[in-house]
Amino acid sequence: MSKAIYEIVDNLPKGGITVSALKSLDFVVPGQWNNLVGFDNTIRAVTGETDEALIQQIGERAVTLFNDKSQGYQRALWLYDTVDSASGLLGTAALMNRIGQDTFLGFLKNLTPKPERAQSIDLCVKLVTELVAFCQINGIPGDSIGDFLAALKDYSGESLMRMVALVSFDGLIPLGAGFTDKALSMIKGMSPSELSHNQTFKGVQDLIPGGNDAGKQAFITESFESTKGWMDEFVASKGLTQQGLVNNLSKFVEFSSDKLDYLGAFLDVSVKYYRHTGIQTLARRLIERAVAEI
Amino acid sequence: MISARWLRVFAPIFLSLLLFVTACAKPESRYSQVQKDTTRRGAPTAVAKAAEQGSTFNKFFPNSTGTYEVVPAQEKKGFAEYKLNKDGKTVAMLSVSDTTSLPTAAVKYRNSTETIAGYPAVNQGTTATGILINDRYQVKVLSRDPSFTQEDRVAWLQKFDLRGLAKLEGPKTATTPAQKSLPNTATSPKRAPTLTPQPAT
Repeated sequence: MSKAIYEIVDNLPKGGITVSALKSLDFVVPGQWNNLVGFDNTIRAVTGETDEALIQQIGERAVTLFNDKSQGYQRALWLYDTVDSASGLLGTAALMNRIGQDTFLGFLKNLTPKPERAQSIDLCVKLVTELVAFCQINGIPGDSIGDFLAALKDYSGESLMRMVALVSFDGLIPLGAGFTDKALSMIKGMSPSELSHNQTFKGVQDLIPGGNDAGKQAFITESFESTKGWMDEFVASKGLTQQGLVNNLSKFVEFSSDKLDYLGAFLDVSVKYYRHTGIQTLARRLIERAVAEI
Repeated sequence: MISARWLRVFAPIFLSLLLFVTACAKPESRYSQVQKDTTRRGAPTAVAKAAEQGSTFNKFFPNSTGTYEVVPAQEKKGFAEYKLNKDGKTVAMLSVSDTTSLPTAAVKYRNSTETIAGYPAVNQGTTATGILINDRYQVKVLSRDPSFTQEDRVAWLQKFDLRGLAKLEGPKTATTPAQKSLPNTATSPKRAPTLTPQPAT
């Protein structure tokens, strides 16, 4: 039996490296994300209701909706969960070896920076994961890029923060300026078999639309191409730079800026922002539906 | 063989361990019963087979008007929801749901003495106002900002195509909704009716 949704939301961390890393991005979208954790807390915050009997009713309906597999909420959770663990898999062994033995810099020495190609696939696959999870949660056909693009303009709260983190931690920091062009040209020039060996892709490939690896690659490319404009405009309008992000991150997480290559790998291993904010989005949507249906 | 002396030594230790372990056990969640009921083998689904497709409801939602923007949010079987945005901020949620999946949702309208546009209406909690059409389709407006009052909710409920929704026939397998005579259905009354809060259940 899968874990109860109320336990998953109750167990979201209030602090730690993921939360700190996300807080370091507050300057990009001030006040949008406040790390709402706890199932009942989320019901109160989303609905504005305080009556305990009503909260119970809303919670029960939300639990029921989540547990019905046909409703897509469990698939969305699986996607957010898997894309984070798959992308961090490579560095985990290194992290486990060093943790508690050494300083942070010592730990960095043991982490191999991800090659640009692997990082590019990560970025593209994570973006497609967002698209597919969005469709699962909101009930839109899984290949509807147009609907996703329209909704992206209206993203707020933890959903917007997830996109900011994607652009920053998986785009600008590891790949630098022009990261969207870099990633797009790499994914376009890649053979389907190279893609199929990538750890992050392997993790979530079952839910990516497209009959085979080539079909899935085409869908990933099309999704990235369509969303590239939004990402470029976002970076330009917020004046985001690699250096600016790194400077800001250093206020929250201790590291040396000459180890920039390793920073991407470090973030990859230790920051589970897709899972964290994905669960927050999922809980919000479930509760929105539950309170409207009861 | 364990001698009585050893038992005397270990018994208090085991007892304290037992107490320690049980004291550490997590308290039962208020949702543990529903979790059990909805995950057991053969548990009923959250959405009835006979429920109307959410996409059917789309055409009955109000359009964007003036400074208000109506933005699609969710569309699942038996449910459709839109955000109502003003100046880029969500001030309310608009929804239509088929109570075939959740009959208790329709029950709360039975004791209602209030109507909006001729349909039984209830206030639920402090942020939601709903009406029930044909004893089946629930239309709700839920405030998401304090500036969006109960009067606003009543006004926006009347912006839905309620007459159109009332004509909607559910799938053949659905229980036939009781037809009601609906005076002045789509014409908005000049003054929003006053509603008295109803209990949430």
